[in-house]
Amino acid sequence: MTDPVLSLRDAALALQGNAGLVRILEAITLDVHRGDTLGLVGPSGSGKSSLLMLMGGLEQATRGEVRALGQDLTAMNEDALARLRRDHIGVVFQSFHLIPTMTALENVATPLELAGRADAYDCATAELEAVGLSDRTGHYPSQLSGGEQQRVALARAVAPRPDILLADEPTGNLDSQTGTAIVDLLFDLQSRHGATLVLVTHDPALARRCARVVELRDGRANERGLRQTPAAAG
Amino acid sequence: MRLKTAARIALRELRGGLKGFRIFLACVVLGVAAIAAVGTVRSSIAEGLAREGATLLGGDVEIELTYRFATDEERAWMDARALSVSEIADFRSMAVHGETRSLTQIKAVDDAYPLVGALRLNPDIPIERALAGGDGLPGLVMHPMLAERLDATLGDSIRLGEKMFRLTALIEREPDTRTAGFGLGPRTIVKRADLEGAGLLQPGTLFSSLYRLDLPPGTDLAAVQKDAEAALEGSGMRWSDARNGAPGVAEFVDRLGAFLILVGLSGLAVGGVGIAAALRAYLAGKTKVIAVLRTLGADQHTVFACYFIQVGVLAGLGIVLGLALGVGVPVVLSPLLEARLPVPAVFAAYPTPMIEAAVYSALTVVVFTLWPLAQARRVRPAALYRDADARQVWPEPVFVLATMATVCVLIGGAAWFSGDTKLTLWTAGGIAGALALLALAGMGLQWLAARLRPRIRGRVALGWALSAIGGPGNTASAVVLSLGLGLAVLAAIGQIDRNLRDAIASDLPERAPSYFFVDIQRDQMPGFSARLDRDDAVSRVEAAPMLRGVITRINDRPAAEQAGDHWVLQGDRGVSYAAALPDRSTITAGTWWASDYTGPPLVSFAAEEAAEMGLRLGDTITVNILGRDITARVTSFRDVDFSTAGMGFIMIMNEAALVGAPHSFIATVYAEEDAETAILRDLSDQFPNITAIRVKDAVEQVSALLAGLASATAWGAAATLLTGFLVLIGAAAADQRARSYEAAILKTLGASRARILAGLSLRSGLLGAAAGAVALAAGIAGAWAVSRFIMQTDYDVVWGPALGIVAGGALISLLAGLAFAYGPISVRPARTLRARD
Repeated sequence: MTDPVLSLRDAALALQGNAGLVRILEAITLDVHRGDTLGLVGPSGSGKSSLLMLMGGLEQATRGEVRALGQDLTAMNEDALARLRRDHIGVVFQSFHLIPTMTALENVATPLELAGRADAYDCATAELEAVGLSDRTGHYPSQLSGGEQQRVALARAVAPRPDILLADEPTGNLDSQTGTAIVDLLFDLQSRHGATLVLVTHDPALARRCARVVELRDGRANERGLRQTPAAAG
Repeated sequence: MRLKTAARIALRELRGGLKGFRIFLACVVLGVAAIAAVGTVRSSIAEGLAREGATLLGGDVEIELTYRFATDEERAWMDARALSVSEIADFRSMAVHGETRSLTQIKAVDDAYPLVGALRLNPDIPIERALAGGDGLPGLVMHPMLAERLDATLGDSIRLGEKMFRLTALIEREPDTRTAGFGLGPRTIVKRADLEGAGLLQPGTLFSSLYRLDLPPGTDLAAVQKDAEAALEGSGMRWSDARNGAPGVAEFVDRLGAFLILVGLSGLAVGGVGIAAALRAYLAGKTKVIAVLRTLGADQHTVFACYFIQVGVLAGLGIVLGLALGVGVPVVLSPLLEARLPVPAVFAAYPTPMIEAAVYSALTVVVFTLWPLAQARRVRPAALYRDADARQVWPEPVFVLATMATVCVLIGGAAWFSGDTKLTLWTAGGIAGALALLALAGMGLQWLAARLRPRIRGRVALGWALSAIGGPGNTASAVVLSLGLGLAVLAAIGQIDRNLRDAIASDLPERAPSYFFVDIQRDQMPGFSARLDRDDAVSRVEAAPMLRGVITRINDRPAAEQAGDHWVLQGDRGVSYAAALPDRSTITAGTWWASDYTGPPLVSFAAEEAAEMGLRLGDTITVNILGRDITARVTSFRDVDFSTAGMGFIMIMNEAALVGAPHSFIATVYAEEDAETAILRDLSDQFPNITAIRVKDAVEQVSALLAGLASATAWGAAATLLTGFLVLIGAAAADQRARSYEAAILKTLGASRARILAGLSLRSGLLGAAAGAVALAAGIAGAWAVSRFIMQTDYDVVWGPALGIVAGGALISLLAGLAFAYGPISVRPARTLRARD
């Protein structure tokens, strides 16, 4: 078997709150391989999103080891983590997190520009076309609907062709019809580009579309079992 | 009841502390402090001048006559009313020490001097002893600056006219100095009796005689003045009394103070922008709270009252702190200020400037807060679950009207306090125009950045900066508004100052004479001309008879009725006579008299001034010369160019009208600079009584005065700029959340901290530079108008200071931006992004 693209060993996260130290994640050990689709499920406050943030280097583990593509994230500084995300990791958020002062096209082009790509705007235009937003390139986020914003966020996440795609409740702020369309798009992009997908969801139906599901409860992970993804099956 | 409830809610909200209101408070405090400080200094000087009125004047009353002494009748009138009278002759002359000579203002005193106050000398000896002299020479005391110019020390012999004096002491403090140090020659004091034989104070010499009267206690000064005006009518006397001992200085300080307070108002206007922004940000954070209050049954009035009370409490606090600072600082620094001020001042907390500052500030706060408060009251309960309902709406018309009415009250108040409606309206118009222009420029900048953004591809930091400037929710207008006004005033001052200096330094000397010589007696003219005619370095000499007179009547009516307070009527003016039209003169209307004309007096008047005074050919002008009224008919108008500093007379009469009156000649000498010293030495040795005034010295004196005015105005503008900086800090602080959020997203997308810092810096720097450029354009336009229409000099853009303004704007904005850059750079993306979820 190939080396895992994501590997956590006894990873823990504790944050200092007003009422003292809060243990968010405890002793997480988990491997995710290339092309995997992994669903993170669990009740609110169980640590799903925090685990996703650890995987993306958006949060630093307070104990244990977190590796992405063989690199130890716990030993990297902010800028090294940023470079790793720029080159290998795409993130989609529940609240979209588009830059409000930039148009849809500029938002999608930004990670490509950061990577020094000369064709950043051509690629961004193509990505927006792929998510059905070719007529919205010059719009600012405030001029787009929630579904449109999430499609821009998706286009932005996949535009640099990341090895790892992290999605934090990507349909959480959308109605069910729009949510379904976004999820279809997410899995379609994942399968087309062969990325590893880790997604956080409350939706059992969405979790079922993943090859593996890990349930979090009180900061601890418990793998439910393996499913054959369409991509893996094909 | 509703108000009570609103007050209770307001106080509960204020329990949360002043965190959201720091900039609000800072803007109020700074605005109040600046105005209160200027007002306090002005009132302190006014009080000092009032208290020292008699001392500054040298008596309860001063009667001044122009180059003559009082007649026996006039003197008898004074002696009959005063306990004692002191007679002084005041004139310019040359003081000579060895081969060194310098212009001096001589005060020739009698035994009664000083009637009021004390002259402080170094060494500390009585005036009588100092003027008694020694070693067979009469005594003389002089200002240390003059001794320095002459390279003279105590005990040295100094020549005045044809007579030697002994320098016995230096003047440390002269009590009766009303000019606050303005004057061409430093002071020399001698006994008038000792001037006998000096050849000075001859018939025709330009001097003033000053009669200081010590009146019995309780004398009604107004009544005595009326009495004097009746008894001494036609004498050409000028009256001053202790009610306003130094009218020139008092008026100057008052006008400068009024002007600086109006400059301070521009600072308050900038502060108002910050106040509005701070309140808007605070209220935006309270949208949900207001929506909850509305859900619970609070009506619009209660919501408005609740936040109006909070604004009132904070404004009150700011005003109290501002007054403490604005009054406290001058009072605390009073020993330092008193030592540096050339006029007396009594530093204390005066109610008028405090009330003035408080009223201005309170009204400004109302003007800038009514609008956001009126918008807040329209927040609907639906804002709880729909962001669209939390959007800003247009306030109701009553609030727009109330804002406009408050602006009118503010301008009316400023006009009343400053006592200069025209200046106030110009300033108010200027501030409003500048704010409107800057707001438009801010919008233009956003538009430009939005258009440029698509062209900037591949340069992430610059692209991000342009997006932040041109995209939604940007602060471009706030930055341009905050910095623009202060920078525009500074730019205008810099441009005017440099253009004026350039005009003086390069332009004037080319056209101006080297020296004015005055007090040349008629019989000295041939010798005077002979010395200059044989000198190749002298390019031109102009000479004319010179008398001085006061215009008292026009067409047999008091002159002021015809020409108001025109400057020609303020004091005495030079009058000459000529048989033929002088060289370089042009008649613009009427005709010159025949060279042998001997009929009733005729006068040729300066054309521009005549037009301003409403004079027509055929009008009669009555001029009091040496106490005698001469009425002349206007037969022509002439072009007179005063800008060349050459010889220019407002009035030239026919020869027969004045030739019989005692008078001297005035001459202008145009010579190469290298030859100036020799000319001065030869002429003053040959004619010890004549006085030379070096034009360069006079120009330097005026330049120094203008530099002082420019500096005072620059300080006012600096206060405005400081307020702008505070407003920027506030804007940067309010913007920090948005920038941290964007930085977190950019980090998620792979941006390094250096790139984010570059983006933040570029954004702040570009905005500041743009604000500087807009301010520069406004400053250049203002400077051009002032130079062209008021100073009447040529105008060229001075690029050094201009670029400094743009760079300064960029730097200030950059500093304010960088002060808040740490948060966005150091932020962990996950925390910031999840806080937004």
